Amino acid sequence: MFTTGSKFYLGISTLAAIVSVVFLITNDQVALGCVALLGLMVSAGIIAGASLASRDGGDTENATTSAAADPAPTSSIWPLALTLGLVVLIIGIITEPLVFVIGIGVILAALAEWLVQSWSERASADGKFNALARKRILNPLEFPILATAITGVIAVSFSRIMLAVSKDGSAILFIVIATLILVAISLFSLKPSIRTTTVAAIATVGALGLVAAGITTFGIGEREELVIAAEEGHYSHQECGEEKSKYYDKHVERTVSSKSGVIATVILKDGELTAQVLGIGEGQKQITVPRANPTSILFQNLDDTEHRLTAYLGEKPVAEGVTEDDLRCTQMIGKGGKQVLTVMIKKPTFAEGPYTLTVPGIEGTSIEMIVP
Amino acid sequence: MMSKAVEEIKEPTVKKRNPRRVVAGLAGLSGALFLASCAKNAPQDTWQPKGENAQKIDDLQRPVFAIAGVVGLIVLVAVAVVIFRFKDRGQPIPHQTHGKPVFEITMTVIPALILAGVGVFTARTVFDLAKTDDTEMIINVTGQQWWWEYDYPVQDGISAPIISSGQLVIPVGTKVLLRETSRDVIHSYWIPALNGKRDAVPGRVHTLRLEADEPGIYAGQCTEFCGLSHANMRMEAVALSKEDFAKWVDAQLAAYQSPTEGLAKEGEAVFIAQCSRCHQVNGLENANGDPIISAPEENVLAGAAPNLTKFMSRNTFAGATWDLLNKTCRDNVWNATSEEFGAKYLAGVSAECLNVADLRDWLRNAPAKKPMYADPTKLADTGGLTRGMPNLNLTEDDIDKLMAYLLTLK
Ligand code: HEC
Ligand SMILES: [Cu+2]
Repeated sequence: MFTTGSKFYLGISTLAAIVSVVFLITNDQVALGCVALLGLMVSAGIIAGASLASRDGGDTENATTSAAADPAPTSSIWPLALTLGLVVLIIGIITEPLVFVIGIGVILAALAEWLVQSWSERASADGKFNALARKRILNPLEFPILATAITGVIAVSFSRIMLAVSKDGSAILFIVIATLILVAISLFSLKPSIRTTTVAAIATVGALGLVAAGITTFGIGEREELVIAAEEGHYSHQECGEEKSKYYDKHVERTVSSKSGVIATVILKDGELTAQVLGIGEGQKQITVPRANPTSILFQNLDDTEHRLTAYLGEKPVAEGVTEDDLRCTQMIGKGGKQVLTVMIKKPTFAEGPYTLTVPGIEGTSIEMIVP
Repeated sequence: MMSKAVEEIKEPTVKKRNPRRVVAGLAGLSGALFLASCAKNAPQDTWQPKGENAQKIDDLQRPVFAIAGVVGLIVLVAVAVVIFRFKDRGQPIPHQTHGKPVFEITMTVIPALILAGVGVFTARTVFDLAKTDDTEMIINVTGQQWWWEYDYPVQDGISAPIISSGQLVIPVGTKVLLRETSRDVIHSYWIPALNGKRDAVPGRVHTLRLEADEPGIYAGQCTEFCGLSHANMRMEAVALSKEDFAKWVDAQLAAYQSPTEGLAKEGEAVFIAQCSRCHQVNGLENANGDPIISAPEENVLAGAAPNLTKFMSRNTFAGATWDLLNKTCRDNVWNATSEEFGAKYLAGVSAECLNVADLRDWLRNAPAKKPMYADPTKLADTGGLTRGMPNLNLTEDDIDKLMAYLLTLK
């Protein structure tokens, strides 16, 4: 009387009911979990009812072929891959989220392959045709994914090598590797009779060498100057004065702009700073900045010479009993240029203010940032 | 395998259900649902606009709803007719034809015209609601888990910054522009009677127009799922007449009065010891006469806790989820006529009107009252910072003192 489909959903529903009882007994904070479990019970129950009423879509009458007529299934590595994926997943739960994600990836891939394979094996009585059917569906998926994975591994290995060797060395290395690849490929094309296995072997050796070098250089780490740059931090060298900074103003032409989302646009024009505030209007000398919240201000330089906008955010301690001005600034911006400055002010104005925005080198004009 | 298959084939008869009964049941159910949607006391009803902006939305949504309803009805009837007239009674499959250009083009053009018509009016309303150039008052609104902060920049009629939370106080008949942002995750500001929703997104400023025609309280709630206590992140817009609003501003800017004696004085000391690391009370000073500056950014993940300087001038607390007024006094304010409302609201919370039970519960164990991530043993992920207010394990004695002190904050 129960159809196959309805049995499945009834099973889920019953299981959910049992689990929710167990859950109720064993847990203190029950509301959310119970809602979820009872929801599962009810929804699976409804689906069970639907599939019962429709006799699983009414297809059961046609299920008349005998099992003996089906060709025997071929061997498959996907159950194994699925198990592997599960193991990786479980390891991921207790170790790294990344491992968990990889586990999910393997499981999904194995499931897809397995599903399509088992479907294709029953597509007809002809094994060859079935294999073709499998390829038709899976190759368009397999090839791009595999290619992406291989490219990714090569790119990562290559970047590790390039980050580890010195700046000049990396240039030479790049030329050498590129030349080698060019030479090899030229030879292949000159000798079309060469066996594909030979080509594959050479390519594999090259790729393995690359990956091995990548792993080795990953172990060695990045070249010294990069390590130092990372340690010192870009922004610790922020020099907010009138002159260009050795560390900070290197790529001025790459100023970032953002049309909306800023709390105010601060404009320098004819030696005068004014703020244009969304909803309030132009020509403001005062802007309100929320406390302890990173807030973006857009600086636009309409002056002829390069300038930067500097925010004074009070004093900051640098050592026992020593403080210095807490400054944040944009880079030197040329005429018409824009750049976003993000500030975060922790104390209200009445505690440590006034906080100001100024342009080094231009006296007598500033904008006050009020922190309530 | 075989036996199962056979078993299933042998049993094709399905018990006939009575379709009439099913239809009647469905009709009854939908009727009940329909009636249930007509709640009487529904302060967040989107069909009752109380200001210009909400009115514009209403003017759009009523005709659109009607059109959609008519279209829906036509489709439903058509589907029902097809189901019942053409159901499989064993008749032969009728002759199949392909395509009927006139019919198909008509059925494409009519919906396209309807959509275009609706689209024109929708676009107009969208642009109307995005206008910012007719603003008469600016209020900055900052969302955080799980309450709203309001700050009023200096502007006409407001001589110094004002900061508040939970209840947004606005003057009636004034085009108020909210400038929304967030300190942590995305929230969304929504006072259904006054306008639609607008997301508050960290690092961005979004504007929302509000205007109330009549004095009164307009309820709303955060409408972007924002974590554990999203459901307890409410807000109210309180509209006051222009004169009353001016009085409210004066009261907000009045200097802090330190209690001089009694329980409240002791409460101030407890507050300084226990609460002032998170909560700012402007004007509060330590023994040396230096202002006490809170450091919520060192204690709370969002970097903020409600400013309590004029706490008892509000009617609600903790994300406007609980009333500061007891039932009688609350009803008295909510049900006041437009004329009386302002004075009643401005009276704030008195000792007689205070909702002692809920506020005491809050002080006794805030996370038990409102779910928050504030268990000190589970804060490794946030570097010890809480989301919301932690349980401070105060003694009943200290709570007595704090209650007396908090009552003086207005
Ligand atoms: C670790 C920081 C912290 C400490 C300490 C703290 N609070 Fe809070 N408090 C908060 C936060 C955060 C909220 C907002 C919670 C919410 O509504 O979701 C809050 C809310 C409140 C509110 C409601 C305010 C409103 O306008 O909605 C009151 C009243 C309050 N706290 C009183 C106190 C008192 C009294 C103390 C001292 C005994 C105290 N708090 C200590 C963080 C703190
Ligand atoms: Cu929210």
